[in-house]
Amino acid sequence: MASEIIRTPVSRRRLLQLMGGVAAAGALANCGGGNSSGNSGGPLKVIGAGSQEAGLRKALDEYKKQNGSFEFNLSFSPADQLQTALRAQLAAGNAPDLHAVYPGNGSAMSMVQLSKANLLADLSDQAWTQKIPAGFKGAYQQDGKTHIFSPGTSVLGAIYNKLAFAKAGVEIPTTWSELLTVCDTLKKKGIVPLALGAQTPWVTQLINYALVPGTVYAKQPDFDDKMAAGSATFAGSGWADAMNKYLELQKRGFFNDNPNGTTYEQATSMVGTGKAAMAVQVSAVLQAYRAAAPSPDDLGMFPLPATDVAADNWIPGGIVVGLSVSAKSKKADEARKFIEFCGQPAQINAWAEAVACVPLYSEGEAKVDPVLKPFLPYLSGDKAVPFMDQRWPNAEVQPTHFAVVQELLGGKTTVDKALKKMDDAYKKTA
Amino acid sequence: MRTGYRPRTLVLELVMIAAAVAFLFPVYALVTLAFKDPGQIANRPLSLPDPPSTESFGSAWQSASLGSALLNSTLITVTSVIVLIVLGSLAAYFLARQAGRLSYSLYILFLVGIILPFQLGMIPLYQLVNDLGLLGTYQGMILFYTGIQLPFTVFLYTGFIRSLPADYTNAALIDGASHLQAFVHVIFPLLRPITGTVLILNAVHIWNDFFTPLLYLGGSGRETVPVRVFAFVNEYTSDYGLVAAGLVLAALPILLVFLVLQRYVIRGFSSGLKG
Amino acid sequence: MTAVITPPAANPRTPVKRAGRRGGIAPPWLFAAPALVVYALVMLYPSIVGAGSAFTDWSGVGEQRSFVGLDNFQQLVKDDQALGALRNTLLLTLAIVVVQNGLGLLLALGVHTTIKSRMVLRVIFFAPVVVSPVMVSFLWKYVYNPAPDAGLNAVLNAVGLGSLRQDWLGNPSLAIWSVAFTVIWQCAGYSMVIFLAGLEGVPKELHESAMVDGAGTVARFRHITWPLLAPAVTINVMLSTVGGLTLFTQIIAMTNGGPGYATDTLSTVLYKQAFVYGKFGYSTAVALVLAIFVAAVSFIQIAYLRARETSA
Repeated sequence: MASEIIRTPVSRRRLLQLMGGVAAAGALANCGGGNSSGNSGGPLKVIGAGSQEAGLRKALDEYKKQNGSFEFNLSFSPADQLQTALRAQLAAGNAPDLHAVYPGNGSAMSMVQLSKANLLADLSDQAWTQKIPAGFKGAYQQDGKTHIFSPGTSVLGAIYNKLAFAKAGVEIPTTWSELLTVCDTLKKKGIVPLALGAQTPWVTQLINYALVPGTVYAKQPDFDDKMAAGSATFAGSGWADAMNKYLELQKRGFFNDNPNGTTYEQATSMVGTGKAAMAVQVSAVLQAYRAAAPSPDDLGMFPLPATDVAADNWIPGGIVVGLSVSAKSKKADEARKFIEFCGQPAQINAWAEAVACVPLYSEGEAKVDPVLKPFLPYLSGDKAVPFMDQRWPNAEVQPTHFAVVQELLGGKTTVDKALKKMDDAYKKTA
Repeated sequence: MRTGYRPRTLVLELVMIAAAVAFLFPVYALVTLAFKDPGQIANRPLSLPDPPSTESFGSAWQSASLGSALLNSTLITVTSVIVLIVLGSLAAYFLARQAGRLSYSLYILFLVGIILPFQLGMIPLYQLVNDLGLLGTYQGMILFYTGIQLPFTVFLYTGFIRSLPADYTNAALIDGASHLQAFVHVIFPLLRPITGTVLILNAVHIWNDFFTPLLYLGGSGRETVPVRVFAFVNEYTSDYGLVAAGLVLAALPILLVFLVLQRYVIRGFSSGLKG
Repeated sequence: MTAVITPPAANPRTPVKRAGRRGGIAPPWLFAAPALVVYALVMLYPSIVGAGSAFTDWSGVGEQRSFVGLDNFQQLVKDDQALGALRNTLLLTLAIVVVQNGLGLLLALGVHTTIKSRMVLRVIFFAPVVVSPVMVSFLWKYVYNPAPDAGLNAVLNAVGLGSLRQDWLGNPSLAIWSVAFTVIWQCAGYSMVIFLAGLEGVPKELHESAMVDGAGTVARFRHITWPLLAPAVTINVMLSTVGGLTLFTQIIAMTNGGPGYATDTLSTVLYKQAFVYGKFGYSTAVALVLAIFVAAVSFIQIAYLRARETSA
């Protein structure tokens, strides 16, 4: 295959012409020839997160019932595809008119990150935005402007199998020590006390999220502000206490074997069938857990006690994934009208009920899943902390948290090193 | 290949069959899973379904609208493969026959495409397809697959054509045929073995591709089978049976095509290597 | 074979062309034009534009991006996560290249005999290649269930190998090998087919005369089969190397790079930086480095293997 000197002069010239043509086509594409992004006619394009399907679908169907001419094109993605596919569309300027957005900050698809890039429409002129409680403003607003609609809060606690509890003769614990005793009794009866599906990344954070409100925020409610200002770190805070408690549960054998190899689905099935008694989870998964159990009433939920001081046991309560109007949408008006509709009390209640969360606000009695009743006093008593990632300044801290928990469970790192990694990630520029 | 079937061969046969059984275990797990109802899945994960239930298949077909997805996948795959074969073989014929530094550089240029990571061009390409108004269309996907799979196709064809003796085309050309006629009537028929290989390898890749159809076709109603099937795998669902049934349905068409064409595949590989 | 062929004057459409060294008259470059246009449009142009973001701090969305020169590359050299990923990438590739091709060769040798089931076996071993990688990942994730009475562990127990039961994907030291094994399972058939093709090219007479001379199976393999398999080895090693270095789908689908960072490779780091951490510019720098690395390894391999081929 040595080079050959004989060439056809014609072909070289024509080849260069061809290259020129390709470059020209490229330049044209850059100038935005052809159909511009977004859709000006046709149905409203909506892409939602898998976890909000029940509520969003209901809202859209109801809106269509009331507005016959309304057309929409709805599709859903699980969380990781949202990150990639939706972000690619946003990058190319081709975002759907309405799409899922995570509240607060802390992830690549979060309200703060996207609004900073001017990709979300301002919803502040809508009536429902006035009803956002002070404690949750951070989840909905950036620079005082509301960019996201969410039907309400989900809480994080221990979903438990009532039959398993009855079998072991244990009651719901209200302090950390009681929790340990309960676990011990369950273990002796051959029931796995806590099912942990740590192979699925987002599950790893949940136990820490359940403990940190008690070990950190109960004593320092402004911890996030201090961290943002640089005067507090993960390493020097109650986070260490939470992580140590996490590992203590493991050391005492209160988790299922091989948590790092157990998936979220496998853990769900364990609790549903009674092989395991509890799992620390967000209330949004109640549907899935109930489906895994012979009877949906087998399951209940209680706040996980982080300390032995009842007053310090706060709970995590996070605004659920919401919906935003794309700033570049050509049907922004229609999209906003739909959001306005969703903000009405009846609609908020309907959506919240469908996804088992506590409605953002309610006129009169809040329609809440009975299983969530134990959590309401914490919410109204200001003892609820938004999920921690919603206040983190960049999208790298949360995945680092996932990874270090897996490393801790696998015995590959120490609590100090883990927290330092999280601090390092926190300091990175967004 | 040694002749004769001796006791030693029987032993080898048994060993190979055992290897095949072990090899197929995951497939066995998947298929039996698809035929079980949720109760059996939880309690008896490994045994044969008893009684077998096609409930998951029905649900999978319905919830994923697999009928239309199959049509979409077939349309895109068949068209893309045809375009790839035509463009790829024509280009390879040129590259294999035309000597010179330029044509060699062109060949290398094509080969570069095989190792380029897809993330590099992903966003600009998405923007380009969008600007051309081809997002959410069949044409857009066909354009994409043609471009992406051409390097590999050209690579396979070029190697094969190089091994063909030149006398055939020379004869045709002397007889007054144009290059195109010589190609269509003389060369291309000789390419049948490698075309079989090109066909199946490209078809498999395009049929199974997940991410790009998700990105380009999501929400357009023209989604392909993988996109619709993996929509089951939601964050919170635990319905393994449904997922398994969907996966089996998604894999069947391509497996059938492979069964039909497998003789050509292997022949294609062997002819390509002899050259 | 060089010859200048003058077509009959009666047909003015065929211009005079000089014959190339490969023999035969070359067709007009127009034959290659459509392919080149599509390829350049879909792959070359976007990759060049995309590569440009390696020199910016673009997050992946929005308009803000500023030129940062070589900052991303400097950061890459100091990035522990990337370096660990590089190590995993190399280990994974080595395992895949050696085991997948070794297994493929054994399967090919076994199938290339007079056993009666060889046609069926060929199909069975190649079938996993045809299945989508995402599907294979889900399937194996199910099989790798760490519970002692499920999946692979259950099978091991049933055949009396219960002591070998593992937490296949949850054990940080084991996870990457579990992923490697899945890929090997899926692709061994591919290697097998290529080796089969190579074996068909070994003339029977060589074996027969060697047998007459009293050579045993192993000796015949070493001196006849193996050298003549050189082209097949070349193709298999090259394809599996590139495949191993750029492996992505199966890892993300099975472990997401975990537990911890135990199964992160350059491709998964690249993906996470782009889409999870919001650091698109940096991820493109990683992509460029990976591309150059793969190209370098491929060229070195091709040189060595081609030399080996011709000396065989």
